[in-house]
Amino acid sequence: MNITRKFNIFALLLPLALLLAPNQAWALQVHAPPEGIYIHQLAHLFFAAALSYLFWDVRRSAFPGKGWRYLQIFCVLMILWNILAFSGHWLGFHIDNADIIRSDGYFSSHIIGPISAIKFIYFCATLDHLLSVPALLFLFLCMRSLYRSIDKEEKK
Amino acid sequence: MTYLPLSPAIITDMIGSLCIIVLSFLALRYAWLLIRKQPENFLWGFLFYFCLTLATFAISRATGHLLKHILLFSGNQEAWRIINPISGGANTLFMISLASVTIYYHKGIEGYQAINRKAKSLKEAYDQLEIAADQLQGMNLHLEEMVEERTLELSASEKKFRNLFNNSKDMVFFSDATNHLLTMNNAGFEMLGYPVEGPPDLNLVDIFKNEDELESYHNVLRSQGFIEDLEVEFAKMDGTGISVLLSATATYDENNKFSGCDAIVKDLTRIKTMMAQLAASEKMASVGQMAAGVAHEINTPLGVILGYAQLMMDDFSPESEPGQNLAIIERQTKACRKIVADLLKFSRQSESAREDVSINEILMDVIAVTQHSLNMDHINVHQDFTQDLPPVVGDTERLRQVFVNLVNNAHHAMEQQGSGDLTMISRYDSTTNEVVATVQDTGHGIPEKIRARIFDPFFTTKSVGKGTGLGLSVSYGIIQDHGGRIEVESPVTNKQSGEKAQGTAFHIKLPAVLAEAASVRE
Repeated sequence: MNITRKFNIFALLLPLALLLAPNQAWALQVHAPPEGIYIHQLAHLFFAAALSYLFWDVRRSAFPGKGWRYLQIFCVLMILWNILAFSGHWLGFHIDNADIIRSDGYFSSHIIGPISAIKFIYFCATLDHLLSVPALLFLFLCMRSLYRSIDKEEKK
Repeated sequence: MTYLPLSPAIITDMIGSLCIIVLSFLALRYAWLLIRKQPENFLWGFLFYFCLTLATFAISRATGHLLKHILLFSGNQEAWRIINPISGGANTLFMISLASVTIYYHKGIEGYQAINRKAKSLKEAYDQLEIAADQLQGMNLHLEEMVEERTLELSASEKKFRNLFNNSKDMVFFSDATNHLLTMNNAGFEMLGYPVEGPPDLNLVDIFKNEDELESYHNVLRSQGFIEDLEVEFAKMDGTGISVLLSATATYDENNKFSGCDAIVKDLTRIKTMMAQLAASEKMASVGQMAAGVAHEINTPLGVILGYAQLMMDDFSPESEPGQNLAIIERQTKACRKIVADLLKFSRQSESAREDVSINEILMDVIAVTQHSLNMDHINVHQDFTQDLPPVVGDTERLRQVFVNLVNNAHHAMEQQGSGDLTMISRYDSTTNEVVATVQDTGHGIPEKIRARIFDPFFTTKSVGKGTGLGLSVSYGIIQDHGGRIEVESPVTNKQSGEKAQGTAFHIKLPAVLAEAASVRE
């Protein structure tokens, strides 16, 4: 029996063994409940890092025109939004369900006192649209400005 | 503060979610318009995908948030509990996608910059190419003008040198290293007597009369590189020689090897004739001086002899022997005195008048005097006089004597033939301002060897007693005294046909008096 033949038999038996006795292999991992939030938090960090890189590179490239300045503002606001959202998610672990009372309906929900720093920051984090909406506004202005500048150049 | 109401957060979240959807789609619209306008621009492509991913993320998140509020408002907490992880997972997924697209910007921008650089370098290359093309076009235009200008200059220069070559009265020729004549001007062919139309193929060997001179010419040319004023003899087509002055410059090829020569040749015939005439003139002047001295010395004793002879003749009868002897002495002494008088005339020692003289009148007088005796010997006299001939300043009697001498000489030259033609010609040469009178006969001519001596005193070819040999000498002296010249031509060349005919022509050339000068003198 030559070496190639031995390798072919091994390659056939290995997937079979993995299917028949999965507990003995470390290929499968159980995803416990906090994993989702961890991934979400990592995604925020990844997104913030990507935006930081975009901001740095646009600034470094020194593209002329208002559009590129609006894009930089968008990046800054979205980085701040990511930080705020990351903080909000993180502080959510430190607030008990009992601290948020919904006795008179959903719209009358409130955080009960005494109001600690954690509770206040968490409250601020729920207002994250105050950052994300202006960020998206600047993105819109950026795209419009870039389009208009191109259009103007072409009309010349 | 005892509590923090979450109602502002709920309201903000709901309005913010709607705003985010609207704004993200507005941004996406402009991104779409950008790539529509410049589809080749990678940067717009990146921004479009970024906006697309962001819009997806915005819908996912905003929808999730709105759904949450709606479900919680409506008391469907359980439903939200089920949907919440799905919405959160989707949000996470789209956020990671958005971050990935953003990171990909790096590559996009690199590509864009690379394209930009390429485009810029292409544009620069194109601009440079345009500039180069403009310059090339300019240069081409300028080059055409320069070529045209140089061609005109070259043409003018070529014309100038061609004229110099063609119109030169001297021979100009170019030869190669084998002595073969490449080009020769018309003057050269005329000088050598070759036809100008369809000239022969010549070699230096053909035109050098002496081989030694050709060898010497070659040696000097090759050693010095040039030859200046070398006097050599060229051979004419008819085999006769012609004395020439040769100047030549050697030419060399690109390997500095002798390739031939350029030469200019001057005909020395005229100069040599002039030199001979000058020598003859000098000789005649010295002979004239000597003759004048001798005449003076002889004149006195002759006078004494004649005087005593005549005194003694009174003492003897003419019939007696002493009387007859004395008569012979008297006659011969008078002959001697005439000779002495002629000698004095030749040496210009005698007095002469100066007045305006018509050559035509003199010639007619001479014809009138001599025609009878000429006709006796069957010699025909022809006249070819130019009317309105300007006068000359001189002594009528002495000039008449000159022409009588010449006519007598012509008569003697044709006497033995029994017939002949005597032609008398007068004309005005405006180029030299001279009146030219020609006495031409068809006699035996003057041999070449004695031509240089015909004006010498006492030189004669006539038999003893027929001439003293002073006729032409006296004529020469008289003409010289009038500021003129005598030229002899034998045989005579016909001006029209160029043919040579037997006979002799004497050309008397006297300075003419212009009408203005004559009137002033009067």
